[in-house]
Amino acid sequence: MKLASLSTDQAPPIFIPLRFFAVAPLFMILAALLLATSNGNPFSDIHSPALLAATHCITLGFVAMTMLGAIQQILPVMIGSTMPAPAPVAWLTLLSLTLGTLLLSSGFMLGKAELLNLAWPLLGLTFLVFIGASLVSLTRAAARNVTKAAVLLALFALTGAITLGALLARGYATGLALDYLRLAAAHISLALGGWVMLLIVGVSYQVVPMFQITPPYPKRLTETLAPAIFAVLLINLAILLLEPASRWPGFIAESLFWLLSGCFAVVTLRLQNQRKRRIADATLSFFQLGMFSLLLAALFSLASFIPSTAFAQPRLLSAIAFLLGFAMSLIQGMLYKIIPFLVWFHLFRGGPSATKVGIPNVKEVIPERWMWRHLWLHGATILAALLASGWDAAVWLLALGLLLQGLLLGYAVFTGIAVYRRTLRKIEQASR
Amino acid sequence: MNTIAEFMTHDHKACDNEFADAEQAAFDGDWSKTEASFNAFRNDMAHHFRMEEEALFPTLQSAGGPSGPVQMMLMEHVQMNDLIADMAAAVAEKDEDKYRGLSETLLIVMQQHNHKEEQILYPIADHILSAQRESVLERMQAV
Repeated sequence: MKLASLSTDQAPPIFIPLRFFAVAPLFMILAALLLATSNGNPFSDIHSPALLAATHCITLGFVAMTMLGAIQQILPVMIGSTMPAPAPVAWLTLLSLTLGTLLLSSGFMLGKAELLNLAWPLLGLTFLVFIGASLVSLTRAAARNVTKAAVLLALFALTGAITLGALLARGYATGLALDYLRLAAAHISLALGGWVMLLIVGVSYQVVPMFQITPPYPKRLTETLAPAIFAVLLINLAILLLEPASRWPGFIAESLFWLLSGCFAVVTLRLQNQRKRRIADATLSFFQLGMFSLLLAALFSLASFIPSTAFAQPRLLSAIAFLLGFAMSLIQGMLYKIIPFLVWFHLFRGGPSATKVGIPNVKEVIPERWMWRHLWLHGATILAALLASGWDAAVWLLALGLLLQGLLLGYAVFTGIAVYRRTLRKIEQASR
Repeated sequence: MNTIAEFMTHDHKACDNEFADAEQAAFDGDWSKTEASFNAFRNDMAHHFRMEEEALFPTLQSAGGPSGPVQMMLMEHVQMNDLIADMAAAVAEKDEDKYRGLSETLLIVMQQHNHKEEQILYPIADHILSAQRESVLERMQAV
């Protein structure tokens, strides 16, 4: 056990996570604009340029953006080890992820190979630096816990997802003869089922009991769930790449994945139901919406194996429920917890002058009623997205929902930054 | 109770439960209940801090334990005491918004702090003080 890990000030400068959080809502707005300006219904073909472009705005520009920012904040505090060269790593990953995502999305939207050829090396660089820095941080970590193991597996899955993504983008740009459908399935499986799922699982082990005062996750679950999901993903990857004649192996691997994910959702909902803290909390409601969406994603995915299914595109619906319903709900809920706390925490370090000036408490940083409005808006957006493949007007509602959410979240982040700056100035004046 | 980590973690959970009771009462607008629950919470937090500041931390440091982490924990005790004092003022003023804002803030500080103690500091204490664990536990209980 390394004793130094608690002694130093572990939290990175406030600008590191906040800059990622400030950029992320812009990509929600961009995704909305891409969907709204597409030719015809972008959901009628899952490889339509607008859908590919908008999806990558969400997965890279929003999900990866917030997760990269949050991990650079959380790893030092939760696992007790700092990132190497935090400021350069933050700047490099922020800029290359922003630029790479813009290039990739415009490359898809406009069908321009040269943009894709600029995008994939930049995104490769982003994740190379991020994964490298995170691995250094994890190997330095003092604590040996289940979260650390899940984050490590999530990083392995991310490495695979990015490698496949770069290969696909490069192939797409240069017209390589690749089996795009199977490689894309493997890319999505590792990115969503691996990176996003495992990271959320690992972080939930800590934040669910901490913030809602629930019983801890059962030890049997925390010790086995993330490795089991990872193993199932590897088996699924082998099946996708080897392409056996029978559909059964693929069906079994996928069912196992959804069974494990479903277990996680049910256990989380049960723990939250047993929470000691009963007061209404927007983050908790975002979390619950996310867990129900995860169960819905599982049902849609399994429905795709039923012949002559009633749903037009159950796999597309599953991906929507997972990405918008599960991942985005949890991320936005957590942002509303993390941002006010970071503002308070960094102001408190202003010392006695800070106490004299009076620091706003967490509920005075972002008004709570905005969070509730955002929750309802987000629920409506998910519903519109689920209807979009069969109903053209829902595409407009989805675009509107994403646009408003991006504006609301962006405004919330900037309000947090403004409160921080204003109070900091007062503290500085008081200490003169 | 066998280890320092188990004993102190159990005490954290007891404080968490009292915290949630007080918050719920404030949310319900039941100020006499809020006052009673909050006072129980405040007293138990103070007792927990004393067990650490008067018994555990000095023993750990004189046994050659790390001073940096202990300083960090003491600094966070100051942070939490500040928030608890503000919460006491909110209870006296029956100011629900103020109480809930402060209690939400305290919850995050407290949970982060507990997490670091439970994951890192207490296991270190159990390791370094393994020979005198019984007497340390007795002294903490006597505080």
